Amino acid sequence: MAMERASTRLTPWLFLGLPLIIYLIWVIGPMFCTFYLSLTNWDGLSAPGFIRFRNYARLLQDPVFIISLKNNLRWILTFITVPVVSGLVLAMALNKSLPGDRFFKASFYAPMVLSLVVCGLIWSWMYHPENGLINSVFRKLGLESLTRGWLSDQHLVMWAVIAVAVWRQIGYVMVLYLAGLKNVDSWLVDASRVDGANSWQVFRHVIMPQLAPITVIVITISIIDSLRAFDLVSVMTRGGPYNSSSVLANFMYIEAFNNYKMGYGAAVSVILFLISLIFIGIYLRRVLRTEEA
Amino acid sequence: MGKKILFLIGIVLLLTAVSASAGGKQEAAAAEKQIVIYNSYNGDPEPRRVDKELVQQFETANPAIDVVHSIVAHEDFKQAIRAYLTASTPPDVMTWFAGNRARFFIDKGLIMDISDVWESEGWNKSYPKGFRAMSSVGGKQYFVPNSYYWWAIYYRKSTYNKLGLEPPETGEEFWTICEKLKADDVTPITIGTKWRWTAAAWFDYLNMRVNGPEFHIDLMLGKERYDDARVKKMFADTWAPLVRKGYFIDNAASYTWQEAITFMSEGKAAMYLMGGFIRDSYPSEQVDDLDFFRFPVLDSAVPVGEDAPTDGYFIAANSQHPEAAKKLLSFFGSAEAQTYNATELKRLATNSEVDLSIYNAVQQKGIKMIQGADFVAQFYDRDTTPEMADEGMNGMMEFWDHPDRIDSILERLETVRKEVFTE
Repeated sequence: MAMERASTRLTPWLFLGLPLIIYLIWVIGPMFCTFYLSLTNWDGLSAPGFIRFRNYARLLQDPVFIISLKNNLRWILTFITVPVVSGLVLAMALNKSLPGDRFFKASFYAPMVLSLVVCGLIWSWMYHPENGLINSVFRKLGLESLTRGWLSDQHLVMWAVIAVAVWRQIGYVMVLYLAGLKNVDSWLVDASRVDGANSWQVFRHVIMPQLAPITVIVITISIIDSLRAFDLVSVMTRGGPYNSSSVLANFMYIEAFNNYKMGYGAAVSVILFLISLIFIGIYLRRVLRTEEA
Repeated sequence: MGKKILFLIGIVLLLTAVSASAGGKQEAAAAEKQIVIYNSYNGDPEPRRVDKELVQQFETANPAIDVVHSIVAHEDFKQAIRAYLTASTPPDVMTWFAGNRARFFIDKGLIMDISDVWESEGWNKSYPKGFRAMSSVGGKQYFVPNSYYWWAIYYRKSTYNKLGLEPPETGEEFWTICEKLKADDVTPITIGTKWRWTAAAWFDYLNMRVNGPEFHIDLMLGKERYDDARVKKMFADTWAPLVRKGYFIDNAASYTWQEAITFMSEGKAAMYLMGGFIRDSYPSEQVDDLDFFRFPVLDSAVPVGEDAPTDGYFIAANSQHPEAAKKLLSFFGSAEAQTYNATELKRLATNSEVDLSIYNAVQQKGIKMIQGADFVAQFYDRDTTPEMADEGMNGMMEFWDHPDRIDSILERLETVRKEVFTE
């Protein structure tokens, strides 16, 4: 009897043992290692010198850090509004069995299949001021005044990059909402119609409340995705011109691997990690609660 | 019980046998073939081809050595090199920049002393003193310069001929040409500043021509201030008018340096300040229309400085195959390999045993230009530290869009300079 109880207590740990060890070595360990590095002035070659919180103090005075933080914020604000609303509208439209709805669903989802690097390259060509699709179309239409150096104008460049991310994200949000709509109770919808509710009222008071859990997930995923933003910036602008399109991940990469300030780069990544942690926490709590329910 | 012990003994015996045979195999392989790991940054098509051909030639001449060759894109290589150098089994032979960027690693003890190779190959005699000095620290040699190239203003001969223009020698002549080109609806100068370093070339040349190469190099080494009145004057009186008058193409920051060539090959622009490697990327059917002139002398009282970046090879200090690596290096530094490299890539060899007659008229002109210089610099991001170069190039990009912000930009660069050079 006692033996049996010990083994039932031990078995889960035996199963968990291997993944836990792997997780410790490749995730938790490096995390602490990064935190330690952020307190040093390591240059990638010499022995790291301990400088306490000097990297963090310097970060607060670094204009590029502030620009990157602001750009991440812009990215988040755009991401939790534009793709979420457009994705929801698309999902509502395509949820009815229209002719060709599968084709449209697939088309909107298609960009998601491409890697971010490929998206970045394609859009860089489209943004090309001289021969790019966008400016060429404007010129053909006689709208010469609308042509821009999309990726070289310091005020436009961040939005030009975010636009690509949005273009890719809409299909993803749409699919999430389509899945959510499958779970909307059609009886309630029918009942509200019988009660004389118009389409907007049905959407606002019957469908939306039932989509609330999926909306929370969509928004947290969007926030986490925008904090992870790196690939597009790296491929399209490398943060330029003069840091106008820098985001935290990209700033960290340049400081660490281009300027060889590993300690400073580590400090940026610790900050980025702490910000992400808040939203990851919200997300996990939500997911765990729905799983338990 | 007895069975268990027998089983254990059997396992142990089996394991020893397996490991012994594996070890034996390794030794046998080592006796048959030595390997040497060679990482290079020759990512562009033409240099890549020549790099591979040189490795093949070496393998044919040394059948006992197997070269494990990886070519990494230039930018990626620069970022990876610290990881390479500190790895326990680093690549044995690597390409790198001569001068300060190599010196940094030599001072940290990460590059192998190869004075013995210099001695046995007779390079102490066959390399010019300047290149030997570039490769030495404390009287020992660590580096093998391979080739160098010049920077100059490249121009379209056909456009010049059409307008009856002559390559300029002075600032006055240069401004006049720019005006004439503009009047004919040709943008005088093309440039792609997406990856920024093309702008740094303008900084190097304008600063050397206005303030002299000595001041320029002191600025690179952090001995002069960025907010110095001389730097300000160069930006405000020389560079800013060039930008304001529209002598450069629009949206320069949207293009990589290769993309900006299109403006020139299509005849929309006439000049490009660029290194000799522009010929590798220029449309081959038009390359004969391309010629170059020395960056105009703006002030005849100032000594002439030129940028002539030198590339070469070194062996990692903790190389696991030093013997084979030294053999490969001896080959790369030989007159034979350098002749091949120089002929194929139209660059200039550093080994003085390379016969000057292999050079065509273009190269002869380049050699003459560099030999006529009072001072030879490497390049902005090679002469100063990576961090200073990064900030400096960002400052230049901001200046490009906002020529009125010179003061605030230079103030910021000065803050960075103090930080970088006092640490």
